[in-house]
Amino acid sequence: MISQVIYPEPIEAAIAQIESWWQTLGDRYLFANYSLSPRSLALLLLQKDPGLWQTLQRDREQCRHLEVLITVTQNQLKQPIALAIANTRQSQAHAIERGVLQETRQTRSSLTETLHQLTVNPITGFPILVVILYYGVYKFVGEFGAGELVDHIETFFESQINPVVNQIIAQVIPWRPIQDLIGNDYGIITLGIRYATAIVLPVVATYFLMFSLLEDSGYLPRLSLMLDRLFKSVGLSGRAVIPMVLGLGCDTMATIVTRTLETNRERLIATFLLSLAIPCAAQWGVIVGLLAQKPAALLFWGGFITAIFIVVGYLTAKLLPGNSGRFYMEVPPLRLPKLRNVLTKTWVRMKWYFLEVLPLFIWASVLIWVGRLTGIFDMIIRAIEPLIASLGMPTQAAPIFLYGFFRRDYGAAGLFDLQQQGSLTGNQLVVAAIVLTLFLPCIAQLQMLIKERGTKTTVAIVLFIFPFAFLMGYLVNFGLSLFGVQF
Amino acid sequence: MECHKCKSQGQSCRKKSGGLAFFRKRQQSLDVEVSSSPPIALVGMPNVGKSVLFNALTGIYVTVSNYPGTTVEVSRGLVQIGEQSITVIDTPGMYSLLPISEEEKVARDLLLIEPVAAVIHVVDAKNLGRMLPLTFQLIEAALPVLLAVNMMDEAHNWGLDLRQDVLEMELGIPVVCMAAALNQGIDELKHRIMPFLPVQPAMIPA
Repeated sequence: MISQVIYPEPIEAAIAQIESWWQTLGDRYLFANYSLSPRSLALLLLQKDPGLWQTLQRDREQCRHLEVLITVTQNQLKQPIALAIANTRQSQAHAIERGVLQETRQTRSSLTETLHQLTVNPITGFPILVVILYYGVYKFVGEFGAGELVDHIETFFESQINPVVNQIIAQVIPWRPIQDLIGNDYGIITLGIRYATAIVLPVVATYFLMFSLLEDSGYLPRLSLMLDRLFKSVGLSGRAVIPMVLGLGCDTMATIVTRTLETNRERLIATFLLSLAIPCAAQWGVIVGLLAQKPAALLFWGGFITAIFIVVGYLTAKLLPGNSGRFYMEVPPLRLPKLRNVLTKTWVRMKWYFLEVLPLFIWASVLIWVGRLTGIFDMIIRAIEPLIASLGMPTQAAPIFLYGFFRRDYGAAGLFDLQQQGSLTGNQLVVAAIVLTLFLPCIAQLQMLIKERGTKTTVAIVLFIFPFAFLMGYLVNFGLSLFGVQF
Repeated sequence: MECHKCKSQGQSCRKKSGGLAFFRKRQQSLDVEVSSSPPIALVGMPNVGKSVLFNALTGIYVTVSNYPGTTVEVSRGLVQIGEQSITVIDTPGMYSLLPISEEEKVARDLLLIEPVAAVIHVVDAKNLGRMLPLTFQLIEAALPVLLAVNMMDEAHNWGLDLRQDVLEMELGIPVVCMAAALNQGIDELKHRIMPFLPVQPAMIPA
């Protein structure tokens, strides 16, 4: 060991004492199967490392012995032990840094520093966010992805693939039910694969491309930093911003990332809000596409979801006992994204997403087919029709909510289809978009929720979200017609 | 957000999706070869380029972002060093051996329990001073540490110059300067890691 950090005398004395004490313990030494050195273990114990202390609990006597030692050591120090240790390391680190790092010239770019300030300061940061949302989401994902790309691929499907498929199956397969399974209105190819390739894929592709660009530029941590101030003002922890921002891409992944939060309470609030109010790429891509022709409706949807997020977040934070953790975040430098990394990442995510939804969409087609064949489908639809009607929706929208039950993006795609046929008013679109956004998460996220938070919590979250989504839809519809608003 | 990760963890994959079969097979064949010798672990603070280095060493794609906390679980892959195939482990970022959050605990517990051939501590050259405390802790723990000073390209652009020999002397461990995103320094790293590996009997060509 050539270079060893030397800590203040009381700490060094304590380490030496622990080390020699351990040598006398023999079989009672509890850390024999750990690969860290005794010195390192001693330091961790002096800093009250929770994991190691748990191991130590197995021997009450050793526990007491160490507690006494910690108290004695602490009394000889002016600052907490952990802080003294951290400070010693830090000053040695800076001493070494000064010795080995040389500033050859003063070129720390002031441009990136200015940019950093602009993105983090709410006064300039919010306009920048709006510009990014306008060009990135509204123009690129909404108008280009969900508009032009979808139109082209849809037209291609409707004019080239569907008629051919329908014609072939009409000639090859004599039974009408089997024909319906593959083609016609709800077939695997004509509906399932069409939804996945023509509606969801272009939206997700454009969205992921934009998101990867933002991610690699280093903008997202700055967005988190800026929103942190806003979040704190409504009583939410700032750290929770990270999974929330990621959730705008994929809620399933974001649910995993809630692990980076410090306390159980924060993880719970974050996963709950992710399930309720954070639309994922596919959802908000489709919804932006749907409402793109009606900017006022789009703004209303955005404002409403944001309000739900803030109010519900605030109430949850108030209801759950405990404090929010400290917010500390590494802010990486702003970088020019590397095209190759962005493209690879977009490609990998697109592939993942497509392979994930395609079988699900196909299954949905099969399920609908079985349901229609047996009449169950009609029964369920008739049962939920009053519910749908109370939202001010036409009865054709009932199947969409049924699809949405399986997957939000499937429901969104169905909604898209219905809107293309021109059978929804602006208000109906807004209500449907709000209900679908708040609605249950997709199956993958539900699985992750169970894994990360346990079945009981998941059931509680689901039982809240289900009626809540419909209630909000009902209230919005009621409010809009009460005030005579027409989008 | 690295949705595809769910796939590699087997959380949300549908059995039907054929594209995954290739991926799985590859993982499996890795696992078989993996067990023989102790692995190399990549550790370091969030967003210093551990995953980029992992990609460069193993050729396996794990999502990398300019966003701390992208890696929340451990990934394993194989790297060819000289004649040997060694397992490389990519870990979530950690600030110190004393973990604060759950994902930091993943990396710590790995070091605590799993015997490793070498620990590559990846640091950001621009923030060396802030990152060295973890190096001290790894040295203190008597782990076989190698320091990989990454992002040298950005440090140069900032007008920073690193005296590698002095740093090596001060710390008493091997130091490699690199820019993993540009594939610079990978070969030197492989070369410097060799002495850490258990000596293997000469391979007999089959």
